[in-house]
Amino acid sequence: MKQQSAKIGVREYVSIAVLMVGTKATEDTPANLYSHVQNAAWMIPLLSAGFFFIPLYLLIKTMSLYEGKDLFSVIKKILGKYLGFMVCLVIFIINSFAVSFDTRTYTNIIRSFYFTTTPTLIIYAILMFICAYGAKKGLQHIGSVSYLIVFYAVVSLYVALWLGTKHANINSMFPLWGSGAFVLVKEGAQKVTIFADFFLLTMVLPYLKSNKAFKKGTWFSYIYICIQISMSILIFVCMFDESLGGTAYPFHTLIRYISLGQYIPNVEIIFFIIWIMAAFIRFTAFLYINALMFGNLFKIKDFEYLIPSLATIYLMLGFIPEAPINVSLQFKPIIWSTVGPMFAGISILLWLVALIRGEFKHAKNKNTM
Amino acid sequence: MKKKIPKLLMKSLNTEPEFNEESNIEDIEIKKQDISTDIEKNLETFKKIFTVPDNADVKLREFTIQQLNRKAFLLYISTMADLNNIMAGIEGPLIDSEHPGSKIKDIVSYPIEKTSTNIGDITEFIAAGVTALFVDGDPDCYLFETTKIRGRSIEKSENEVIVKGAKEAFNEKVIDNIALIRKKIKNENLIVKTQTISKRSRNTVFLVYQKDLVNEELLQNVKERLKSFDTDSTIDLSILEQYLEERPRSLFPTIVYTERPDRAAAFIEEGHIILLMENSPSCLILPATFWAMFHSPEDHYLRVPYGNFIRILRFLALFVAVFTSPIYLAITNFHVGMIPPDLLMAIAGTRERVPFPSIIEVLMMELAFELIREAGLRVPSPIGPTIGIVGALILGQAAVQANIISPIVIIVIALSGLSSFIIIDISMNFAIRITRFLFIFTAGFMGIYGVTALFIGGLFYLVSLKSFGTSYFAPMTPHSFSSKDLLIRHIPIKERFRPGYLKPRDMVKQRKG
Repeated sequence: MKQQSAKIGVREYVSIAVLMVGTKATEDTPANLYSHVQNAAWMIPLLSAGFFFIPLYLLIKTMSLYEGKDLFSVIKKILGKYLGFMVCLVIFIINSFAVSFDTRTYTNIIRSFYFTTTPTLIIYAILMFICAYGAKKGLQHIGSVSYLIVFYAVVSLYVALWLGTKHANINSMFPLWGSGAFVLVKEGAQKVTIFADFFLLTMVLPYLKSNKAFKKGTWFSYIYICIQISMSILIFVCMFDESLGGTAYPFHTLIRYISLGQYIPNVEIIFFIIWIMAAFIRFTAFLYINALMFGNLFKIKDFEYLIPSLATIYLMLGFIPEAPINVSLQFKPIIWSTVGPMFAGISILLWLVALIRGEFKHAKNKNTM
Repeated sequence: MKKKIPKLLMKSLNTEPEFNEESNIEDIEIKKQDISTDIEKNLETFKKIFTVPDNADVKLREFTIQQLNRKAFLLYISTMADLNNIMAGIEGPLIDSEHPGSKIKDIVSYPIEKTSTNIGDITEFIAAGVTALFVDGDPDCYLFETTKIRGRSIEKSENEVIVKGAKEAFNEKVIDNIALIRKKIKNENLIVKTQTISKRSRNTVFLVYQKDLVNEELLQNVKERLKSFDTDSTIDLSILEQYLEERPRSLFPTIVYTERPDRAAAFIEEGHIILLMENSPSCLILPATFWAMFHSPEDHYLRVPYGNFIRILRFLALFVAVFTSPIYLAITNFHVGMIPPDLLMAIAGTRERVPFPSIIEVLMMELAFELIREAGLRVPSPIGPTIGIVGALILGQAAVQANIISPIVIIVIALSGLSSFIIIDISMNFAIRITRFLFIFTAGFMGIYGVTALFIGGLFYLVSLKSFGTSYFAPMTPHSFSSKDLLIRHIPIKERFRPGYLKPRDMVKQRKG
């Protein structure tokens, strides 16, 4: 039977983006931010969004020169065969590590909060298995599933946060600038990693119905997510105050803390269900993008077949750190402080090279002709 | 390459024996010929084809036509034809008529359907209940449409019961079924197209659609699909359904099977294609989405708030049917902290004397419920309700008193079992019941995490299902233009468009006016 072309619409794209990036507020990001800038942590996402806006804008502008090409093709085209390949390879490797450690982080969360006696390997393997299965189904289906659950995910997050405000104290916001405006700006620039996923999402551009849909979807989800993350962190700050620095996973502490009235004291499982669904989608999309990158790098057409093996490799890679603490303190900071600035650098570099080579003028001439 | 090796291996291990058909070239050759003008020869040929006189209900009547003074014979199958009409309209005038005439059509009063010369064609017609008249010296054979098939009349729908709206259902006579649809759509663009799908028993399928609505590509697709299988006999629509489906092994159905003509007509009006078959008291609607199986015609007959109320109720029932027992298992085994202390004490108290782990308990009771349900269906109707009561009430009560099952499990099973009845579509119903067992196993194995993992995996699977190129959750995702009749329906005036995933020739079904 003839299959429909596997293009996704703007709804599906936005859902993937929201689930991919929006879940960041529910892992160890807030604690990480708090340890650097104290109670001004909620401003970091806003600042970083501001900082990352320029490279992302330039990147999308550069990409629009090459209609229907993904990020790697554009990099190769602009930077040349060899340099381009090297850059792409570095992106792929860094991203692979990011996926491994992120999945490990999520496994740690599941294990430490909900399944304390289950072996890590089993939790991890189930996570990777489902993600690999989903990723193998292709982007269109990932988009469809995320569209089906994104509404519930977002609503449940807000319900959890709203219930959290009952235990929050707005005074914890002050002093407004935390440990100082200068530190804030510096950290904001470094933590653009929060939005680095948007850099990766340009990989799926050829699978969208149109360039315009991509732009619209990207900017919409970009603005929405920066508000959502910032708001969640603000509520975490108001709730936990000083202790946020020592609370590894504030979202999960929060949902253990809240209750639905007097009678149902523990509702964490309800939120856990939806959170884990979002996490599945997040890593499915990641896995798919990584496979896409790998396929593009080594010119493998049917890259879907790579997904199970990639998932296995990530599983083994993520299994190397022995304790959860190692992941949070040794491996992730390296990725945290390098990925964002590097991706921003690459975006600006691409734009500069394109500008110097006169690609923009070229395109303009083509349009006027 | 990867897939080829195991396939080759399987092939070499699993050889299918070669069956040689007994040759009937002689018969086939005869059927290709034309009839002769010599009546004796024709008589002999058809006697041989229909095995007269061994074949009891094939009637052959020889006589002489008075006016023409020629020998003739009538051939028909008495169980398929209307004997009164044959006697009064054909046989009577031929044997004994006052009106002189030289042509057959002037003599008989029954309208001649057509004439034919090919032996094979004539044989096929006779097998379908047509009466054939052979006249000595005449190169043509006269065929009379005398078919009269016995069957039950149009009755109330029994499996898809609704309170408000039309009650009639399809029956086994396809003519009645088509009439039921035509009655609802009085339009010359409503096409009933026949297509023969099997070789030996020559089952025909009737494709019913609106010519000026249906997407041409879809129509071609369906026709080709119907042509593609080479089988001797497909006796029922439900078997055809399995031939047609893209994934016949899948748990979830991709074609709607309904016995309600109003539902069929509604789908035709949207640009779907309906398949009907002789002997099947139902129709197939394709392409179908999850929503088509989830909705009931009554949702639209009731006023908007009531219709939406039962929709939401049904959606809830879907989740209750699938998830009550798994969640009970998961919470009591893995996430005890979630239950309020008082309730926890109550549950623990009832489970105190039960010797089994709760998964065994739940599985036993689920199995018992399925048994009672299946038995209730098969029991002769006068004692059916009694068996149900004995099974459900007494079995449950006794099981609790014997400390085999805790009372809370009875509540859980009864709730999920009852909820599963709300899903009208029979295939969807089965799908829900079977997935429940899968979820029970994952809940017993990994608690809520396992249930959620399976749920997401299942969603990925469902989303990738296709019915004749239409995604399972269309038009919700992938999004296409429609009148948004998904979970909630709008007032009829607002439902202005046909579903976009069908790509109908006319999208707008209601203009602003």
